[in-house]
Amino acid sequence: MPTWDEFQPFIVTGLALGGVYALSGVGMVVLYRTTGVLNLAFGAVGAMGALIAWQMINEGGWAEAPAYIVCVLFGGAITLAYGLIFGPPLAGRDPLVKATATLGLALILLGAMSWIWSDKARSMILPTSTENFQVGDVLVNYTQVLGLTFGVVVTVGTVLFLRYTKLGTAMRGLANDREITATLGVPVRRVEAAAWLVSGLISGVAGLLLSNLVGLDAATLTFLVISSLAAALIARLSSVIVTLLAGLVVGLATALATPILSISEYRDMAPFVLATLALLWLSRKGHTISGRAV
Amino acid sequence: MSIKLVLGRSWRTVPLAALAVCFALFVAACGGDDDDNGGSGDGSGFSGEKAKTAASKCGLGNGEKASGEPIKLGAINTKQPGTDFTEIAKTAEAYFKCVNDNGGINGRPVELVQETEQTDPAQAAAAAKKLIETDKVAGIVGSTSIIECAINHKYYEDNGYYVIGSGIAPECYGTPNYSAVNMGPRHSVTGATQYLIREGVPKLVLLQSKVPGTEYIEGGFLALAKQEGIPTESLAEAVPIQDANSVALKIVQAAGDNGGVVLNFTPPEALKILQAAAQQGLQDRVKWACSTPCNTDFLADALGTTFDDKLGVNAELNLVSVDEPDTNLYKEILQKYAPDIPLGSFSQFGFLEARIATDAMLGIKGDVNKESVNEAFKNIKGFETDMLCKPYYFGEAPLHIPNNTDWTVTPKEGTMVQKEECFEISEADAPIKRVRDIEKSEGIYQPVE
Repeated sequence: MPTWDEFQPFIVTGLALGGVYALSGVGMVVLYRTTGVLNLAFGAVGAMGALIAWQMINEGGWAEAPAYIVCVLFGGAITLAYGLIFGPPLAGRDPLVKATATLGLALILLGAMSWIWSDKARSMILPTSTENFQVGDVLVNYTQVLGLTFGVVVTVGTVLFLRYTKLGTAMRGLANDREITATLGVPVRRVEAAAWLVSGLISGVAGLLLSNLVGLDAATLTFLVISSLAAALIARLSSVIVTLLAGLVVGLATALATPILSISEYRDMAPFVLATLALLWLSRKGHTISGRAV
Repeated sequence: MSIKLVLGRSWRTVPLAALAVCFALFVAACGGDDDDNGGSGDGSGFSGEKAKTAASKCGLGNGEKASGEPIKLGAINTKQPGTDFTEIAKTAEAYFKCVNDNGGINGRPVELVQETEQTDPAQAAAAAKKLIETDKVAGIVGSTSIIECAINHKYYEDNGYYVIGSGIAPECYGTPNYSAVNMGPRHSVTGATQYLIREGVPKLVLLQSKVPGTEYIEGGFLALAKQEGIPTESLAEAVPIQDANSVALKIVQAAGDNGGVVLNFTPPEALKILQAAAQQGLQDRVKWACSTPCNTDFLADALGTTFDDKLGVNAELNLVSVDEPDTNLYKEILQKYAPDIPLGSFSQFGFLEARIATDAMLGIKGDVNKESVNEAFKNIKGFETDMLCKPYYFGEAPLHIPNNTDWTVTPKEGTMVQKEECFEISEADAPIKRVRDIEKSEGIYQPVE
């Protein structure tokens, strides 16, 4: 069993990764609450944005900052385009159908990434990854700080946005009942479009951070959505605050299991185990995944 | 309740506009890429310094087009998402095109029939059956597959085929009718471990991807460490790695200060770990080594200068940057006949296999057919090339590991450079000991100078 000193650096890596899981989870929850769509293409969109940024910097000779902005904008643009094209025709369908449709987008993007970029080793280092500071014996870089900070800031920002802005109120209205909200004069498609756009922009940011914290690899970034999904499920796809906490717990649990060699190779199960335990506990308490009128 | 939103008015045009933005971004991103493989530079020498040493000749090297009935050879390569070995056979094909432009095999052209499989035993078996019974190939050259050796070696033995390929599975090295130009992951890991032992590490940790065959691969590592009395930890990690920072910390802690870490992963996965280590300042906490897949300028370039002279990579074949006859021919052929294929170990394998096969076929007196081709392959002895430390051979033996001596290279300013001269893979590993004994009994053993 590792000593406390040996566990300390894993707390840093766990919180950093957990922060980005939370960030991604919040993006998924906001979209689900507004549109009823569980976006399984969240990771693939971020991955493609990050690879485009890599291409621009390394092959196109672009400066880093505009390339990073393009990465985020790409996330917003592709997600918004999907939402506008496929959102309305699928609006009346079962949530499972909607989620499966986004899986189609994920697979198309994954195939495109494999075709364009192959599986050669490549990396994109944010300037924040090369700057670090010492906390006790642990070296912390600023990308790790950013991961946690973004998770917290986006969560708090989302809570305030949903509570105090007209668009946020409209999103909450849609989450409660789409038909009634529409009859009250809320322009449903515009509100949903805003949710698609925000979720897409968050996927771009998450892709950028994860390409540094995890690695610039299409398949890895695409399937990291599973850990974020676990955080969102623990929050019953409704509470962004609980999503933040769940994301951090998932990140920490996975990281802290890593140095314990006897269970290390099973740590990838942590998100599913935690989600399953949470859902079982919630169902005993009479809570279920938030049903959303479509 | 009435809520006004400020989100633009012309909604019909928004999807098109969004798609246009995506397309524009994509085009902008791809604008500067002349490289089909999307790589970050290959250190090829294509546009670098002009070679001073003359390249070897393709086959007869007479500049005359071959004609007549082609001599058919066959290759089977794994091609599936994440694993694509087809560039090995494609490079072999490029070499044969050059041979065909230079007199062929005594006037006859060579045709390479290429099959692929997706780690499916039935498919691998069917591919071999098609090559031999339908296409009636005279020989098997240029195969690299995760499972093909294991599935087909008996079939080849029964049908009298002697395969010149590159291997992964144990059967590519431990059966009588295979002689690979590479040494495979087990012996490459042993070579990387030897480098760390020379660096004086007090403990050794092996981390490899969690796939079938990890126990076979760790065999040499464990035997060598046991012989040297060094404690070990052998770990496997599911790929793709999703928490590289934690993985890097784990192996550094497992190795302890100044311990040694051997990585056996594909370049993208190894890069994740090495980069995570660099970001956490772990490069100097332990000594790092890697098996052959890390020997690529893509990885060196992606690492920047963070691991310069701090990562020993076992190299089964010589660096692509050397100015030597065969390596120069290899670069010329890729440039002329297969410009889309990047320089690196895989294409080196294909080139070398085709070069060895061509050399053997040119020595055939009389009709070139299945019997004479395989007899020629079987009798290959002392094939010298600057791509290998020692001559390649085939011969009749229960196992073949002709490539059992290799280099250590290291990243340096974005490219791989030589760190250690040729050294022998340790005989602490039983198969290597057996091969050396066979070499000595056959009189073909050459000690490293």
